[in-house]
Amino acid sequence: MTAPLIELEKVCKTYNQGQPNEVRALRNIDLAIAANAMVCLQGASGSGKSTLLSIIGCVFPPTSGRAAIAGKQLARMPDRFLTIHRRNTIGFIFQHFNILPELTVLENITLPLMPLGVAPRERKERAGRLMRMLSIGHRANFPARQISGGELQRVAIARALINDPPIILADEPTAHLDHALSLAFMEIMQELQRAGKTVILTSHDPLITSHPAVQRTIAIEDGEIHVP
Amino acid sequence: MFLNSWSVALTLLSLVVLILTTIAVRTAIRVLRYWQPASDSNRQIRLENETWLSSTLVQYAMGFQVLSLVLFVLAADNFSKVISGAMCATGALTANRYGMVVLLVKLLGAFLYGFWIVLHSFDISSERYPLLRAKYIALVCLLPLLVVDAVSQTLYIANLKPDIITSCCAVVFGEGGGNDGNLLGSVPQGLLLTVFYGTALVLATLGHFLFRRLNRLLLWLNGLVWFFFIGAAFVAITTVFSSYVYAMPYHHCPFCILKPEYCYIGLVIYGTMLPAGFFGIAATLAEFIPASIGLEGVVSRFQKRAVLLSSILLVIFLVVVSYHYIVYRFMGGEGS
Amino acid sequence: MSFEKQLNIIDYSLSSIWRRRFKSLGVAVVFAGVIFLLASFQMTTKALTIVAGDSLAAAPEITIQKMRAGRQESIPVAYQTKLGGIFGIRTITPRIWGYYFSEINGANYTILGLDPLAMPLGDQLVHAIDSNRLPKEHEVVLGQGVRVAVTSSGSSMFSLFRPDLTSKPLTIAGSFKAGTNLLTYDTLFMNVSDARDLFALPAELATDLCVTVANPNEVPTIAKKIAALLPDTRVVTRQQIQKTYQAVFGWRSGFASICLLTALTSFIIFAWDKASGLTPEEKKEIGILKIIGWQTSDVLTLRFWEGVIVSTVSFVVGYTLAYVHVSFFEAGLFRPILVGWSVIHPAMRLIPAVDLGETLLVLCLTVVPYLAATVIPAWRSAIIPADSALN
Repeated sequence: MTAPLIELEKVCKTYNQGQPNEVRALRNIDLAIAANAMVCLQGASGSGKSTLLSIIGCVFPPTSGRAAIAGKQLARMPDRFLTIHRRNTIGFIFQHFNILPELTVLENITLPLMPLGVAPRERKERAGRLMRMLSIGHRANFPARQISGGELQRVAIARALINDPPIILADEPTAHLDHALSLAFMEIMQELQRAGKTVILTSHDPLITSHPAVQRTIAIEDGEIHVP
Repeated sequence: MFLNSWSVALTLLSLVVLILTTIAVRTAIRVLRYWQPASDSNRQIRLENETWLSSTLVQYAMGFQVLSLVLFVLAADNFSKVISGAMCATGALTANRYGMVVLLVKLLGAFLYGFWIVLHSFDISSERYPLLRAKYIALVCLLPLLVVDAVSQTLYIANLKPDIITSCCAVVFGEGGGNDGNLLGSVPQGLLLTVFYGTALVLATLGHFLFRRLNRLLLWLNGLVWFFFIGAAFVAITTVFSSYVYAMPYHHCPFCILKPEYCYIGLVIYGTMLPAGFFGIAATLAEFIPASIGLEGVVSRFQKRAVLLSSILLVIFLVVVSYHYIVYRFMGGEGS
Repeated sequence: MSFEKQLNIIDYSLSSIWRRRFKSLGVAVVFAGVIFLLASFQMTTKALTIVAGDSLAAAPEITIQKMRAGRQESIPVAYQTKLGGIFGIRTITPRIWGYYFSEINGANYTILGLDPLAMPLGDQLVHAIDSNRLPKEHEVVLGQGVRVAVTSSGSSMFSLFRPDLTSKPLTIAGSFKAGTNLLTYDTLFMNVSDARDLFALPAELATDLCVTVANPNEVPTIAKKIAALLPDTRVVTRQQIQKTYQAVFGWRSGFASICLLTALTSFIIFAWDKASGLTPEEKKEIGILKIIGWQTSDVLTLRFWEGVIVSTVSFVVGYTLAYVHVSFFEAGLFRPILVGWSVIHPAMRLIPAVDLGETLLVLCLTVVPYLAATVIPAWRSAIIPADSALN
């Protein structure tokens, strides 16, 4: 049996440690997610869901406990190495997509490749493949502020995939999308999961939580995983 | 002689370097006191962020220090126009006892900043930051040198006496400062050139072997020979090669080759010689990194690259510095 | 950091500057203005120094002036004989010169009485005169500025007044060519006897003695000997005059640089403020970059290149404008500070010398403080946490 791709053991995260305004965002989280899974994290605002997502996403390490993401222990890893691991391992899709409106579609998609020293030609080729796959190739040179919501969604997906990461993290991806676009989004996620990616979504949207592709739903409440 | 644009610029530059380094040292002291890698406290996060600030400040300071070095030499050339008995930068630098001190301190400062940056790059290549304490102790130790730089430069400028006409009487002649045109005493040319080229050959050979296979003994030898070669090269440039650049047998100035009338050839000469020496010595100093901290791969990769770079720069330096000499000796004077 | 990575970051820096072009332009315009001011001063100083140096090339190697009570007075011509024993002196020529105040235009003319043929290469002086001949007795050669003043009536004769107010008529023998303006613009050149007559100077006196020396390397030694033989004189060498000019221009330029430092300081504070003031969009952008894989060092590099690009553009623009200002407008904004006040001002063509040293000097006074001022704001923007993009 292969080791889980994401393994959290007694993970805690405390903000403002030792200060009067100390906040224990996560308490003793035990979580294992296998490779090639599609999982949904559910939780209200302030439940610790974003913190958990940040730890899985290698944005910051836990305060205590063991967190292994794609074989790498995160405990007290300096930010520099965390960033390197994050860009090789995680593809982020944000709630509001976070596409830079003044840059073109191509420039937005290839943004993660720039600090890697990838030459312009190769960046264009890699982005081109993804754009064709997501049917936005015709928009390559359009400023992002000029494209539709559905196209923005696919630009965000393409950017998340540009480094070919094994894990895709989508934070409330359908919060501002209509039903049709939400369905289209889940279809793409399902394709990615079938292609071998591990997809982790956070959402309140019943369309996502009850989607057949979602293998498991994890609820978080008050910094702990809630087992109903 | 502070009321002079060059003095203002030099003072400003020294001040900037000192301020940047002082801020970096402040971080260094905080890191040395409070660093707790296992902690997730706000202070630790702040300190981790500040380590980026300190390294950036040192990089900027190094760049400005190199600029300061070049500016100082050019300023000395400008000062020579108002100092009695000084015809060029050599005369201005020897006009009082602080001139050469400032030059050497600035040069040393540039080298030390460079070594710190190399140390820093080793440190951040490991997740455990194993050289953190050593790095910041070294940074704290660098600050006094910069204070010496700034103070001695101020004293140098303050003690420059411009040679201006007085209202009442003749200025005493022949007593101006500046051992003009002759920074060093005469050295037998044949012996000097043998030592110079012989040492260069040794360095090239060492570089060749070290690039193929690193060897501790050879690395140490390489470093020591580089140390010697920088001195020998400076003497050779001053007493031999510079005269051929100027086509004037009695002009032995290592600084006038930086001037536009000589096509700034000095920039290429020093711009290859000093970095070559830096990388050669840095490769040796990297041997001080203990093997136990897990940086062997990073260190050996750096050493190979440094040795290669120093060898390439050495060759370019030899070609450029020898050019006028060879043209004169074998082609009978300045050729077209 | 690889070369390709640097190129990518520079690419993004250019895009970033373009996206914030109004802010960048504001900084660049002010910066270019500050650079223009400092560079103009430097270029003007250097150009004037070169002009002064060229003009002094024709001066005698040593000038001897008699002093009494700390002031200059006429020197006995007989002092020449005391110097006969000094080996290395080629010629000693008495010179009479002084100032003549013209009540008509309020200008001080320089009267120069000299026998040029008594000096080495003195016969070459004819080439500086449009009539190609030296003035004979009762004749005068005029500088361009004087010619305009005295020949408005079209006559070739005019009169000056002796100290006892008797008039001394003079015939115009020619004018100095325009190329000699720096030295001759306000000069009336005549022979020694006419100058002596005009100033009512006794036959045994002269204003000073010009000494030419065979070997330039011997000048300090000979000057020292003259000073020892003639203790009541001031012995000035050409090199000293050159160094004095250099020092004076240097002082004025240094003083101006210090004054302009206040402008520079204001700009640095402005630049700091602009660099520190991140908009919410800019903060969000950094958060996004960090979370998708840009390291803190990458963002610092980005900010560094932004600073370099803005300062390079400002430097090129400011420096070019300074060059145009000095070359084509004769440094009109600053010349009075550096050149001094005079009713008759020679029109001189200033040719700014652009060399590495001068460029580096202006760079160190401007670009270095700017880059230093942007380090901490750049760092503050680079440490924006990656998780800010998730909020």
